[in-house]
Amino acid sequence: MSPPAGEATLTAVLHVPEWTGVRVLAGLTDDAGARQLTGVVIVPAAEVPEAAIAGRLLVVLHEVDRTDWRLDVLVRRARAAGVAALVLPGTEPVGWATAALADRVGLPVLGSPAPLEAGLAARRLLGRTGEVQARQVLRTVAACRRAGRTVEDLAREVTRVLRRPVALLDRSGHVTVGDVPGADRAALAAALGSRNPAEDARLPLPSGVVVLAAPVVVPGGETAAWAAATLPEAPAAEEAAVAAALAVAAVGFGHRLAVRRLTSERDARSRTSLLGELLNAGGAASAATRRRAVAAGWPLEGWHTAVRIAAQREVDTVGLRGEVVAALAAQDVRAVVVESGDGWSAWTTTTHEPGAADVQAHSAKLRRSQRDLAVVVETQVGVGRPHPGLAGLTRSLAEAADACRLAASRPHTGRFVQVDQLGLAQLLLAWTRTDTFQPAARSLLQPLEDQPGDLLHTLGVYLDAESSVAETAAVLGVHRNTVAGRMARIQQLLAVDLADAEQRLALHLACRTMGVAADREAPQDG
Amino acid sequence: MPWSPGLSRIDAADVAALTRGVSLLGSGGGGDAATFAHVLRRRLRSAPLEVRDPGELGDALVVPVGVVGATRLFGEKLPEGTEFVMAVGALIRWTGARPAAVMSLEVGGLNGLSGPVAALDLGLPFVDADLMGRAMPRLDQFTWAACGQPVTPCAMREPGGPTLLVDGADASGLERSARALLAESGGWAALALPPIPASLVRERCVTGGLARACDLGRVALDLGSGTRPEALAGALGSRLLASGRVLDVGRHAASGGFGRGSVTVVDGEDSAVVRLEAENEYLLALRDGEPVATCPDLLCVVDRRTGVPLAVDEVRPGNEVLVLALPGPSWWPERGRLDRVGPRAFGIDAEPILIGQP
Repeated sequence: MSPPAGEATLTAVLHVPEWTGVRVLAGLTDDAGARQLTGVVIVPAAEVPEAAIAGRLLVVLHEVDRTDWRLDVLVRRARAAGVAALVLPGTEPVGWATAALADRVGLPVLGSPAPLEAGLAARRLLGRTGEVQARQVLRTVAACRRAGRTVEDLAREVTRVLRRPVALLDRSGHVTVGDVPGADRAALAAALGSRNPAEDARLPLPSGVVVLAAPVVVPGGETAAWAAATLPEAPAAEEAAVAAALAVAAVGFGHRLAVRRLTSERDARSRTSLLGELLNAGGAASAATRRRAVAAGWPLEGWHTAVRIAAQREVDTVGLRGEVVAALAAQDVRAVVVESGDGWSAWTTTTHEPGAADVQAHSAKLRRSQRDLAVVVETQVGVGRPHPGLAGLTRSLAEAADACRLAASRPHTGRFVQVDQLGLAQLLLAWTRTDTFQPAARSLLQPLEDQPGDLLHTLGVYLDAESSVAETAAVLGVHRNTVAGRMARIQQLLAVDLADAEQRLALHLACRTMGVAADREAPQDG
Repeated sequence: MPWSPGLSRIDAADVAALTRGVSLLGSGGGGDAATFAHVLRRRLRSAPLEVRDPGELGDALVVPVGVVGATRLFGEKLPEGTEFVMAVGALIRWTGARPAAVMSLEVGGLNGLSGPVAALDLGLPFVDADLMGRAMPRLDQFTWAACGQPVTPCAMREPGGPTLLVDGADASGLERSARALLAESGGWAALALPPIPASLVRERCVTGGLARACDLGRVALDLGSGTRPEALAGALGSRLLASGRVLDVGRHAASGGFGRGSVTVVDGEDSAVVRLEAENEYLLALRDGEPVATCPDLLCVVDRRTGVPLAVDEVRPGNEVLVLALPGPSWWPERGRLDRVGPRAFGIDAEPILIGQP
């Protein structure tokens, strides 16, 4: 629960931006910090006024000699009058005697470089809540108008205006822009993730920090993100003002997100179609296509090394392209990245043919990029060989796509496969995983499906085990007589002779294609 | 009411008690009496010093003598032994009047013992009276000046140096002359003020100061170390303001020439913060920010273990001390004289708070 408006503890007031320069000189105990302030009394000289001042902040404007004994008298009288805290002009420390006395009687003594401003700010916070809100909202509106076109620009500007860290969180509560200092990010994501995304949220975190979050709605009514501001313990008036200002900022964020989305989708369409044209051209692109490629900054000559990055789950490839480019750039890979299908096709270009060492180094960088990217999305990655010219690009992209498909069934290589490291058989296998071979493989093995005894798997293991019944039995954990029986039934059902090398090869390829192997982690795709 | 003089003579056995007593009456100032204590003890070995009641002396003249200047230099620049004789001699030559007895300028600190030494030097009897009843820094704080009595003609004699005779100056004029001389010379001088008839001593001076010093010193020495703070305070007729450790000693310049200092003591019993404001002497005591005692009462900081009073420039952070307030001389609170010796006379904007005063 947020405290009632118009009241605040001393600790909360100490955290407001207008009090940034205020220093605690002495006497701030937990008890004293938790006192509710009821008002502000501003006096010219170091004297305790006659008026009722209990619970108030006593602000002295004129310079006070820090060594003067009268400061002790002031501390004593102020405490006796029930003053909640004393604000002196200047931040120089007070004498030992005064500090010891303030500690003893429990009167916080604070120093401010601008006591009048500090006093007036406190008075506003304690009294005129509406005014504080209006000020912050107006300043935020101006900030939205003034800030640059990116969400980063806006977050920076609103942070400056509110003097509170403002961040942009994705819908699940993860920080994407700016910072949420003092917050456990996992706890924050958990708390925000379970919220109704259409409503404002106030999250008091265990660290004592309060995070205010306002939904960022993009055109169409969908909540795309959260605008979040971080406050330490703050006066209710300031919290309310920041919440109101944040709602305004959220509109600004939504606007910028929509513009960015629009731009990137347009760019993505243009990139995808350009790549399509290049690939269809098969090494002889039209002048118009070449012009577009040059305009897009895509080099067509030289040696191209392609990479295929496929996401393991359904993702927004347009939205995540920036992350992919960043992950590659972080490893010093300047690649052209194009959204296509369930992932991204990318390539790098060099003027000369890369040597074996270059290929190895490149491959290592890509591996690291994949690992970095895993924070955002789990991927499988295939890398083609370097080939020259436009035709070479097409070829390298095809190799990369094949390698990427293979990578899906290779968790032990980190779902990363480079064509250079493939054996001939694996290349053969890659080519068999085409649209024509897959239905053939499925129909070949179809009779084994729905049969008792896990025949399909048994066949895969048997072929992998070099046709050894004993080895197969050991892998499957069954008796070898069982394996022998199953193999007899398989030959019967499929009407094949496993002694025939050609038939054995065909079955082995079919099993691999269908994902039937000793490695049970392999997905049963198809 | 003046104290009844309880001393009829001073002998060597009294010197220890006198030294302790005048240190207490110094209220943190007045200079270290140790040098004069040595001189006095040696001089008293042959014969005691006779102390006369001013009432017995009729209209015979009594000359006040003492030391002015930087009392701390006294131990560096030792007296020749003829300073008092030369100063009084100059005064006699200028006025033609011959004094029949000697009294002190002030009874606090080293001047508490310089009067008796001067009396021995001059071969005259001593009258137990002085012009302050404690230690104070300025010449306009003499009882005489408060009564409108002239402070000139007077004579100053530097150790081994020239004799200066000043006439026709008021207290502040004399102060200026003395300062000019002392700043250019050895830092201290013997001062002899114009003698007054003994019949005026009771009215215009504080009497019995040395007797009080003797009593206080005896009580303090008899109690010895290890006495409970309350017991010591009670035996001295004083209020115990704090018993604890010195937290801080701050020194800073103040308007009016003398440096200002504050000594902060945290009471070991109840953690009260006791702060003493000081110039040459301790002037104001605050307990938890509330003024509780001021000059001209005597504020004393005493080493808790040895009972020895600590001067303002001797006290250090970490000292284990007692802070005591002893009644000041009763001469001052009468007839508006506090204007001269109360806190405001030292630029401290506080009402006098005196023991036994409403």
